Amino acid sequence: MRHSASVKKELHRRTAIVLYLALFLMSLLVGKLYFLQIYCYGKYFSMAEKNRIRLSPLLPKRGRIFTADKKVIAKNKRHHKLTIESCGEKKFSENLELLARCLDMAEEEKKSILEVHRSFPRHAPIVVRDGLSWDEYSKLSLIFHRLTHVSTDSVYVREYPDPLEYCHVVGYVSRSDNGLQILTGKTGLEQSINDELIGEIGAMRTEINAVGRKMRLLDSTDPINGQDVVLTINSEIQKYVFDLLAAEKAGACVVLNIENGDILAMVSVPGFDNNLISSKISREQWTALTNDPLAPLLNRTISCTYPPGSIFKIVVAIAALSEGIISPSYTVHCAGGIKYGDNVFHCWNRGGHGRVNIYDAICMSCDCFFFEISQKLGIDKIVEYAEKFGFGKIAGLGLGNENAGLLPSRKWKLLRYGNSWKPYETLITGIGQGALLTTLMQLTVLFGKLYSNNYDFVPRLLAQRAPDFLSSKNKIDERYAGIVKEALHRVCNCWNGTASGSCKSSYEIAGKTGSSQVRRLKSNEAGLNQANFPWHMRDHAIFVGVAPCKNQTPRYVVAVLLEHGSSGARAAAPIARKIFDKLMAHPDGIAKN
Amino acid sequence: MELLKIKRRMFFPNEFKILFLILFFLLSISFLGQYSAFNGDFSEPVQKHLLRIFSGIALGGCVYWCNFKMWSNFAYGFYATTFVALIIVEILGTIKLGAQRWIDLYFFTFQPSELMKLSLILALSRYYSLLPADEIAILKNHIPPLLMMLLPVLLILKQPDLGTAGVLFFVGCGMIFLSGFPMKIFVGGSISALLLCPFGWYFLHDYQKNRILTFLDPDRDPLGTGYHVLQSKIAIGSGHLLGKGFLQGTQNKLNFLPEKNTDFIFTTIAEEVGFIGSVLTIMLFVALILYFFWSGSAAKNLFSKLLCRGLGLLLFLHVFINIAMVMGLMPVVGIPLPLLSYGGSSMITFMVSCGLIMASLASKKNTQD
Repeated sequence: MRHSASVKKELHRRTAIVLYLALFLMSLLVGKLYFLQIYCYGKYFSMAEKNRIRLSPLLPKRGRIFTADKKVIAKNKRHHKLTIESCGEKKFSENLELLARCLDMAEEEKKSILEVHRSFPRHAPIVVRDGLSWDEYSKLSLIFHRLTHVSTDSVYVREYPDPLEYCHVVGYVSRSDNGLQILTGKTGLEQSINDELIGEIGAMRTEINAVGRKMRLLDSTDPINGQDVVLTINSEIQKYVFDLLAAEKAGACVVLNIENGDILAMVSVPGFDNNLISSKISREQWTALTNDPLAPLLNRTISCTYPPGSIFKIVVAIAALSEGIISPSYTVHCAGGIKYGDNVFHCWNRGGHGRVNIYDAICMSCDCFFFEISQKLGIDKIVEYAEKFGFGKIAGLGLGNENAGLLPSRKWKLLRYGNSWKPYETLITGIGQGALLTTLMQLTVLFGKLYSNNYDFVPRLLAQRAPDFLSSKNKIDERYAGIVKEALHRVCNCWNGTASGSCKSSYEIAGKTGSSQVRRLKSNEAGLNQANFPWHMRDHAIFVGVAPCKNQTPRYVVAVLLEHGSSGARAAAPIARKIFDKLMAHPDGIAKN
Repeated sequence: MELLKIKRRMFFPNEFKILFLILFFLLSISFLGQYSAFNGDFSEPVQKHLLRIFSGIALGGCVYWCNFKMWSNFAYGFYATTFVALIIVEILGTIKLGAQRWIDLYFFTFQPSELMKLSLILALSRYYSLLPADEIAILKNHIPPLLMMLLPVLLILKQPDLGTAGVLFFVGCGMIFLSGFPMKIFVGGSISALLLCPFGWYFLHDYQKNRILTFLDPDRDPLGTGYHVLQSKIAIGSGHLLGKGFLQGTQNKLNFLPEKNTDFIFTTIAEEVGFIGSVLTIMLFVALILYFFWSGSAAKNLFSKLLCRGLGLLLFLHVFINIAMVMGLMPVVGIPLPLLSYGGSSMITFMVSCGLIMASLASKKNTQD
């Protein structure tokens, strides 16, 4: 026995030290295991789920938009997208090589796809080609058996068959940038009734593996397609109006059915290609559109405001008659201008109209008459009636980008400029100039209200909305309205009417011209021919009219605006006349659609 | 008489039953774990693993039935042979996974560093069992065992294989400590070694530095080294109390686990059997470690006593380092989990260890004593 008992005892003692240390360390493992599996379970479970589950949206079909005569103006087009799933580097480049040869891909395009794959190996399938043509699609199907991890995905894109005609009414869409890539309306109806058109997104949960390969479908919820929408617009009228206006540089037109408030046409020129904006528009093209001095993106019927010019005199006339300030026999002597304080306010006709009554004043658009009665009415009454006729607020078509215009009042002046209303401002407001701004739609609505004798008249663009103003009791007094209507009839049919040159017709038109000044005329320019001015300095030409007036209640309002068209009578009225001719050519009218 | 002795050893003593029970459970877990890690398919690698289990058992039996004296007598011989093999690896070894660890013998590849673990334990046991009791306190008598341990450690570090070198180092130190290395010097040495650690940094390879840096800050490289540990932690953590169920581990099935058959086999198991199953697995390992140490106390002679404790240390280090690293407690150093990981070398090492343990228990008191 060379080893004493003490050696073995020491060995035993040291073994115990080592063993206790080992057991302590093993219990640390159990502790850590508890921490991971029990204490942090929630965190790691959700991380594991996030690892394996890919939630992909199932996009609904967007609702279509129809005109009243069932012509589709916004629809969906199938669009094939070629995608390639992540897989091993070698396999991926092999597949891509085949695809590149088949689709004539540029070298940079190939490189960028490879780059995406390299930097996000667990990425959702990578889009190789967005929008495969039929030709490419059939070529591809020939080599499809040689490809793995490649699939074609079809998505829907928006298609507008008549982009320029309807671009402002319909608007355009873009893919939402929240990752869902769902089509979302950006302007026009696409935007304002987006909730109805969009439908509901479905979802699909798939299990994926570490390299992002789809393993199986876990569950899915089907999408609900958006609702189709029918408008009140008549495609034939819309097209006719568009063709007339297309020759103009910038302008707009609204055609309205007085009986039910239906908008039959709504055109603004210049337009734009909403197909282009809704799909792939390049930065240059977009910049060109937004920087275009003619602003093609603007809907000139509802978004642009103009001084209404003489058309506003209708409001002042009704107000004066209703308030008992004037009667049909009341006359004013027009000497080409009136002296007010230290200033002289000129009538457009420097020679003066002589003694005029309400009929003559509207018929010849005499400014002096309206200077006189606005002064008597005062701004508060003018504002009260203007509000009744829908000025200063949006027409309520349900389009997003409607402009309320500007109805100047004492309160507005105080809030805006911090000083009180000056009496001379009442005068210029009374002839529709000054700070007053209206949209073409508001002027159309003014006529709608006047000829339906109803302050609650509202236009409608969506056929599904009932014309509920019909039961309204908020009537315009027929005695006063009748006087104004008679005067408006004379505008187009009397020898001295401002629009008599272009609006004499068998069915008889009534209407009002307006020329809204773009800038204050210098005194030496008064009476000069506007045609000699540079285009952008000429007055805006406006004409709003109704027809037919011969022995019946008028049915249609046509409002035409030509930017810098110089004269409402010479530029805008002839176009309105042609539209009326078209409307009358229908045997029993368009209204019955 | 001789015949009778062999016949007696043909039958297993009662105290082996508990070892067999532990091994039975661990090897069953091993098979099921690999089956699951190979996606629940009884494919070729799973069959290969099953074959390895059985050949491991056979090899363990052979070791047990061998004359135990041989292990003691040829301990230095084994050590020398393995050491030469290590040098050959250094010179001729084929390059695999960027490290020279294998000798290609044309029909199978063989890893001398793995064999060195056993050889070192045998050699150290042999050395200390021959050292007279009164000379243990003399420091210079510990220089040969220190050299025996350090030379292969340096060679293996050069391969580079930080994990195996570390295991070998700690096993060696542990055995030298157990054998009666002067306590004060040992403690002093350990403390100064700890203080010198930072200087060791300069001798590490870039990938080793990376692993250690990533261990200290796992977010540093979430798609590289950190990815393995993060995915492993996700898998373990999402197992909860009872696990996702056999073959139901999503991290496993969908290949989010790296090295799920080899170094990360514990992760695969923990995900599917949860906290209870994982703790049971750890308990089985603890039982095996305790059994190894217990057999050290039960053995009759000093060589066997040291041998059993050396093997116990080896087992413990493997189990601890492996499980700690898959849970992010230690840097990833490539240490397989004994008996459970896929691969032949480790299976053979530990089945042979079990054979040696049984043999030591059965050995007689007078062997080399």
